[in-house]
Amino acid sequence: MTVELFGPARALAGRAAIELPVSEPVELPAFLRALATAVPAFVGEIVSADLDAFVAPNLLLLDGRRGADGIAFSSADRPCVLFLPSGG
Amino acid sequence: MTYAGPRALLEVDLGSETAVRRDLDDAVFADALGGVGLAVWLLETMIDGPLDPLGPANPLVFAAGPFASTPVPAANKHAVATISPLTGLLNEGLSSSHWSAVLRRCGLAAIVVRGSARRWTTLVIEQGGVRFEDAEPLLGASAREATKRLRESLGDRTARVCAIGPAGEHGVAFATLDNDGRQAGRGGSGAVMGAKRLKAIVVRGRGDVRIADPERTAAVSAILRARAVGPATAKYRVTGTGANLRVLARMGQLPTRNFRAATFAGAEAVTPERARESRGEYLELRAGCAGCPVQCEHMYVRKGKPSETAAASEYESVWALGPNCGVADLDAVLAAIRSCDALGLDTISTGAAIAFAMECAEHGLVDASAFGPPLHFGNAAVLVPAIEAIGAMRGLGAVLARGVRAAAATIGGAAPAFAMHAKGLELPGYEPRALPTYALGLATCTRGACHNRAATYDRDLRHPDEGRGAVDRARDALEAEDVAAVWDALVLCKFIRDCFDDFYREAAELWSAVTGIELDAPALRATAQRHWERKRAINARLGWTPADDTLPPRLFEPIADGPLAGRRIDRDQLARMQSIYEELRAGSAVSP
Repeated sequence: MTVELFGPARALAGRAAIELPVSEPVELPAFLRALATAVPAFVGEIVSADLDAFVAPNLLLLDGRRGADGIAFSSADRPCVLFLPSGG
Repeated sequence: MTYAGPRALLEVDLGSETAVRRDLDDAVFADALGGVGLAVWLLETMIDGPLDPLGPANPLVFAAGPFASTPVPAANKHAVATISPLTGLLNEGLSSSHWSAVLRRCGLAAIVVRGSARRWTTLVIEQGGVRFEDAEPLLGASAREATKRLRESLGDRTARVCAIGPAGEHGVAFATLDNDGRQAGRGGSGAVMGAKRLKAIVVRGRGDVRIADPERTAAVSAILRARAVGPATAKYRVTGTGANLRVLARMGQLPTRNFRAATFAGAEAVTPERARESRGEYLELRAGCAGCPVQCEHMYVRKGKPSETAAASEYESVWALGPNCGVADLDAVLAAIRSCDALGLDTISTGAAIAFAMECAEHGLVDASAFGPPLHFGNAAVLVPAIEAIGAMRGLGAVLARGVRAAAATIGGAAPAFAMHAKGLELPGYEPRALPTYALGLATCTRGACHNRAATYDRDLRHPDEGRGAVDRARDALEAEDVAAVWDALVLCKFIRDCFDDFYREAAELWSAVTGIELDAPALRATAQRHWERKRAINARLGWTPADDTLPPRLFEPIADGPLAGRRIDRDQLARMQSIYEELRAGSAVSP
């Protein structure tokens, strides 16, 4: 699954996108675990230490505009790990 | 209950060159807290009807944050309040860093400046008194240059200076106040100070700032400081707010070419992250306010160029002078930001004015060669000449320097349809048609189109596909305004907003520990409604009516492109949300 990265996630990974080896469709808990495995530096910074949530203000939006809570999603949904824009 | 911090108000009359110092009562602090709360409290006692914002009767109020010069992180801040030359209504802005802290070390909670000086003046405030010095030699200098020269003449490298640049001297309606490289940017407070012939305010003080309970303050501050260097602020520390650009572009809601589009093909070329990732093309410099662990400012300069020419890359500045003008040239945008900072111009309003002029030129309403290089969307070469003309109030620049609402009235024809403002204040870089709660917040905000007084975009962005009803959205907007009002009275930097687990409880704990006036969370929460009522009362005296709480006509038309094409603000729905919002503000039962 291709995941687009933005802001701190992109800076930590050093890439604009990463490939996650997950079975599709995937739900959020498995997605978070795969993300943490792919980029261990995300743990505590982007993904909570328990690997069960995003650390605010980071979040996952499908195609940059749909939430992913409680649903299964796949590459075609174009998952994006981004953050809430604010300030400045 | 005795307020522990500096409690003096300095009342300055520039016409008579007099200054009177008197103490404010505990009750004032318990009610107004500090910062914007205190500045607005003071202003309300002085405004009894419409006035000329650039006339001597317009007071200019500075009020320190109650946590400035204490161990509380991200809190060396002060408020500036006055009547805006852009809106004719209340304008309250924030700035930060050393000037805020030293103001309190002079024993002051606030300064009120009234009247107008006979000659250009620098006000020098020291613990022992106040001096009115000749500022004629500083005319034409940027705030940065004025600061340097004032420090040299005083023989004091630690003197802290709040100054206007040339734009403020010339009366540009969106001129800024600058201190320590930070600005009270929006609404034209710099023009008000210029109209008073006040070039700068120097503060020099080394007095102690008493804290009611130092141990409790240190304990709570330590927790906050630890969180402020964690993931909650990573986006500000690692990338800076400039990273918003890529995100909003990906979401298909990046206002482009004066809000005519919501996607911008040149977004990637102009994102400040590109400079950061260039691995050697640019030099990145970091800066921040005194006492702040976040250090959010990311400045860039081409490698090999002098570091003092580095430009700040905050999202709003890059957006206003980049995508909003259709410009996809990062170097040109950074040069334009630098030019705005040197002249003392608000970058949001400046970018909005240029984008407005570009659209007017497209329709033959203004001379497309007014600034030399052709005035059209995408032409990076016109940015700096246009900014210089605005700063000097020259030719078309003089028309734009009054803000887009006034400029549209002068230009006439279809121009008002191109003027993107609310109550006269130009729109910031979020797309209200994609963010319905934010749209309500923009319409109701007492300051005009400010994204920091009603940051309701947060919920809209987090739950973009959530079908919330009008009642919920009205509650969200009110709640966001109230939270912001408390932040701005305390004054804490909003960039640590994710560092609180329970904001009102933890903030009340901080307030009580620092000031000695015990407030619990509900009492702190209740101050917001009082502060809002005061702001609304001031605006009503100045002539505000509910009809002013609206948005520019373009926002009622559909987004033209991208994944959100077709989204628009529905007039009836906005009116319904506004009606509920007013009921909530009045404490009435809300009809479902």
